[in-house]
Amino acid sequence: MRLLIPVIALVLALAAAVSIDRPLPPADFVLIDRSDVYTLDPQRMSYQHELRRARVLYEPLVNLRAADCAIIPGVAERWDVSPDGLTYTFHLRGDAKWSNGDPVTSEDFRYSWRRAILPDSAADYSGLFFAIKGAKKFFEARSAMLKEFTAQHAENPSAADAEALWKRTVDLFDSTVGLHAPDARTLVVTLDAPLVYFLDLCAFPCFSPVHPATVEAFVSLDPATGRATQRHDWTKPGRIVVNGAYMPTVWRYKRDMRLEQNPHYWNKDAVVAKTIECRTVENPNTGVLSFQSGAADWLTDIGPEYKTEMLAERRAYLERFKADLNAGLARGERVDDIVATLPPPGDGERRDARGFDAFGTDFFSFNCRETLPGDRVNPFNDPRVRRAFALAVDKQALIDRVTRLKERVASTLVPPGVLEGYPVVEGLGYDPDRARAELKAAGWEDRNGDGVIENADGVKFPTVDILYSTASPRFQNLALAMRDMWKRELRVAAECRGKDSKLYKEDLKKGNFMIARGGWYGDYGDPTTWLDLQQSQNGNNDRGYSNPEYDRRLAEASSEIDPALRLQKLAELERWLFTEEVPLLPICNYVTVYMYDPVEVGGMTDHPRLEQDLSILGPRRATAQAPKPSQEPSK
Amino acid sequence: MSAQPLSTGALILRRLVQLPFIVLAVYTLTFILAWSVPGNPLENPEGRRPPAEIVAAMKKQYKLDDPVAFYFEYLEKASGIGYLRGKTDRVFDLGPSLKQPDWSVNEILSTGLPVSITLGLSAMVIALMLGLFAGLIGGLRPGSIADLATQLVAVIGISLPSFVIGSALLMLFAVKLGLFPVGGWGGLAYIALPALTLSLPFAAYISRLIRFGMIEEMGADYIRTARAKGLTRARVALHHALKNAFLPVLSYLGPATAVALTGSFVVEKVFAVPGVGQHFVDGVLGKDITLVMGVVLVYSTLMVVFNLVVDVMYRFVDPRIA
Repeated sequence: MRLLIPVIALVLALAAAVSIDRPLPPADFVLIDRSDVYTLDPQRMSYQHELRRARVLYEPLVNLRAADCAIIPGVAERWDVSPDGLTYTFHLRGDAKWSNGDPVTSEDFRYSWRRAILPDSAADYSGLFFAIKGAKKFFEARSAMLKEFTAQHAENPSAADAEALWKRTVDLFDSTVGLHAPDARTLVVTLDAPLVYFLDLCAFPCFSPVHPATVEAFVSLDPATGRATQRHDWTKPGRIVVNGAYMPTVWRYKRDMRLEQNPHYWNKDAVVAKTIECRTVENPNTGVLSFQSGAADWLTDIGPEYKTEMLAERRAYLERFKADLNAGLARGERVDDIVATLPPPGDGERRDARGFDAFGTDFFSFNCRETLPGDRVNPFNDPRVRRAFALAVDKQALIDRVTRLKERVASTLVPPGVLEGYPVVEGLGYDPDRARAELKAAGWEDRNGDGVIENADGVKFPTVDILYSTASPRFQNLALAMRDMWKRELRVAAECRGKDSKLYKEDLKKGNFMIARGGWYGDYGDPTTWLDLQQSQNGNNDRGYSNPEYDRRLAEASSEIDPALRLQKLAELERWLFTEEVPLLPICNYVTVYMYDPVEVGGMTDHPRLEQDLSILGPRRATAQAPKPSQEPSK
Repeated sequence: MSAQPLSTGALILRRLVQLPFIVLAVYTLTFILAWSVPGNPLENPEGRRPPAEIVAAMKKQYKLDDPVAFYFEYLEKASGIGYLRGKTDRVFDLGPSLKQPDWSVNEILSTGLPVSITLGLSAMVIALMLGLFAGLIGGLRPGSIADLATQLVAVIGISLPSFVIGSALLMLFAVKLGLFPVGGWGGLAYIALPALTLSLPFAAYISRLIRFGMIEEMGADYIRTARAKGLTRARVALHHALKNAFLPVLSYLGPATAVALTGSFVVEKVFAVPGVGQHFVDGVLGKDITLVMGVVLVYSTLMVVFNLVVDVMYRFVDPRIA
C-alpha cells in the first residue's frame, strides 16, 4: 500500500538517527552544572565551574588543598624563596608527566606563562602575571609592536615581517621577563616587588602549564596584524594533552563531559572517582528534579526559586539534631561528617541541600564620575551623598524579606573570616538620621516644605537612576526595595531601570547610571583581589572611582614586606574606603547552594573559597577508606 | 509558471536550482537581523574584561568591525567556494562560534543536529500514530462521546504551551512514577517524554485533518458504491476513505517536520535535550553571529529539501498530481 511508504520512511530515518547516539557507561561520580564550560584552555578561563574543572585537568606548580586552602606541592615538589622575597625557585618533581607520557618541564611553564602574558592571547587574567619582573613592560611592548605592525601592514600583509616580529618578541621575553629555566626541572621566577600571595597565584588554574607541542600546532601568525592567532580546537578530547588527575575523553557541546583518570598522573592513587561525568542542565527546575530522581551526585547550582525553601528545610532538620551537631562541632568534626551519622530527615526536612557563605559580595555601585553622560549633573560625585544613600539602606530587612537566604550582611567588600590574619572591617551601618544629616551637609534638604529635597539654588535632587540586569529576579527585587527605602528615608525620587545583561553591561561601561547592580567573587587569597577594584586604572572599576590618595595608599600597602603589617595597612585602607569614600554599597556576602547528600558523597569542603577538588569527591565510603596521602602544607 | 504539469525529475531539478537563491535570501535577512542586535559577542556579561586594544584586534580577526566583509567572507566559506579556492580545510566551513571559541559551528551542529532530528522525527511518528487513531475514532463516529473526548484532548494539545505540558509530563512520569529519566539524552528512555510533548500539537492538528477528511470521504459517492458492492464498513474506511483523507496530512507533514526540528527549543530546555534549538536560541541571545548564521543556513537548506521530499512522495501516493 503506497500510503505506508512515507510512514515507513519516517520510521527508518528515526531508527537511523537513534542508532547514532550510543549511551556511555555510568560514571563513578556525576555532577550537574548550569552551563557548559567555555573552554578547557587554562589560560583563557574565568568562570568558577571552568576553573574547578581545570584544577583536576591541569596541575600547576603548587596546589590549594581544598579543605583549608593551604598551599601544597603540585608539579613542584619543593621551592625556595630568597630572603628579600623577590626570587622563587621551584624544583619540579621527576615523575610529573603529561597524559601522553612526556615529562612536565620547566620550559612548559615558561611557554604557558608567556602565552598568558602575551596580549595576543587576550587572556582575562593576564594582569595576574604582572607581578613577575618585566611582564607588564613586555605586555605593553608587544601591544605597541602589534599596533605599529598593523599600521604598516594592514594593506600589505607580510608573513616574513610577522615572523621577524615574533622572533623579536621571543627575544624580548627571554631577555627581560623574570622567568628562567636553568634546567628541565628548575624554574626561577623573579618578581618586581615582594608579593606575599604569589604562591596562591601559582595555584590559580591560569598558572597551569599547557602542552606546548599540542598548542603550538594551532597557532599561526597573522601577516596583516602580526598577531599570533590561536585556533581553539586543540582542547577537544583526542587532541588535548593534560597533566592533571583526569583527562577529558568525551565532550559534547552543552551536553556532557567525561573525565577519566590520567594514567600518567604522578599522584593517581589519591584520586577517588575513576570517572566523572559533568552534565549540563540549563533549566534550573530540570536540574533539581534530575538530582532528586537520583541521576546525579552533586548539583552545583540551584535555581533561585528553590533556594529559600530548601535551606529552610535543611535548617529544620539540623534544628532537630542541634545537640548532636554542636557536640560534633565542639569535637572539631566537619558538618558533613556529623550529618552523615544522623538519622534520615523527616517530613518537611532535608539534608541534601546546603548553603555556604561564599567568597563573594553582592553590592550596588555608585557612579563616582564628575558628570553623567550628556553632561548631566551627578550628585553621587559627592562622597557625602554616597554615604547618605548607604546609611539609608536597611540591609537586614533586604535579607529577611527580599533575598531570604540568611546571607551575612556586608558593609565592606572583603568577606570576613576567609583570609587568615585579615581583621573584620566594619563599614557604614543602617542609620537613617545620619543619612539625612549627610545629605543636608551636602546641601540637599527640603527647603520649602514641599516634601522634596533641593539644593541652595532650589534645584530638585535629580531622579535617581537605578540600573540592574534582568538576568535574575534577585537584582530587580533588591533595586525595588532600595528605591522604596531611599524614597522613604531621604525623600528622593528614584526609578529602577532593568536591562538585558548585554545592554546593562553597555550602560555600565558608558557610566550611564547613578546606582547600578554589581557583584564580585575573589580570585585569590588576598584582600587586593577586592581592593584593586577601586584602583583608578582597573578594568573592572565600573564606578569610575578615581582617587589618587586611594591609589597611593593601595600601592604602598600592597608592597609592604611584613605580612602582618601589610594586612593591617590594607584593612585600614578598606575601613577608610567604606566609612568615608563609599564608592559602592555592599549588601551581603553571597550564599552558594549545593545539592548533595552527605551520606553518599564525601570530600566536599566548606572552606569559604569553595575550591572543590573533583579528584577527592566521591562515594563517602571510598573517600573514608582512601584518604589523600597527607601532604604537609609548606610555610 | 507553465500550465503544463512538471514531471517529477523536472520538479526536483527546478527545486534544486531554486535552493541557493532561497537560502541566500534567508541568509541575507538573518544577517541584517543578527547584526542589528546590540552587544558584543566577544564579551562575557559577567566576566572580566580584556583590554580595549585586544578586543579591537579580536574584532578584526573575526571581521566583526566590518559587516560587509563578514557577510561575503562567511558566505564564501559556508557555501564551499572558500574550500574550492583553498581558503579553508572544511568543505562547508561555518566558522568558529564567537561565544564558545573552542567549538566550530560545524562541530556544534554535528553534535546537536542528530539529537534534534531524532527528537523531531520521533515526535512526528508519535504525532502520526496519535493523530490517526484519534482522527479515525472521531471521523467514523462524529458526535459520539469518543469523538468529543478526542476533540477536547486535541484542543488542549494545540492550546497548551509545551513548557506546561512538558513540566506536567515530567512531574507525573519521571518524578512521581519514576518511569523515565528526568532530563538529558542517551537512549530511547530519554526520548519518550520530550518527543511526546513535542508531538502533541502536531497530533492534535493531524487528528483534526483526518477527522474532517473521513467525515467528508465517508459521505462521498464512491464510498456508497463500495459499500453497495458489499465491502465491510471497516474495509471501506481503511482502504478507500483513509487514503484520500490522509493526503492533506501528507502535505502537512513536510512543514510540520521542519517546525518540529526547528521549533523544539522550549522542549529541549525543559528536558535538557542537547539539540540545536537550544544552541540557536542561546546564539541569538548572545549575539553569536556565526552560530546563528550557520544554523539558519543549515535549517533553511533542510527545509527546502524536506518540502521537496514531501512533494515527491505526494506524487507517488496520489498519481492524480503527477
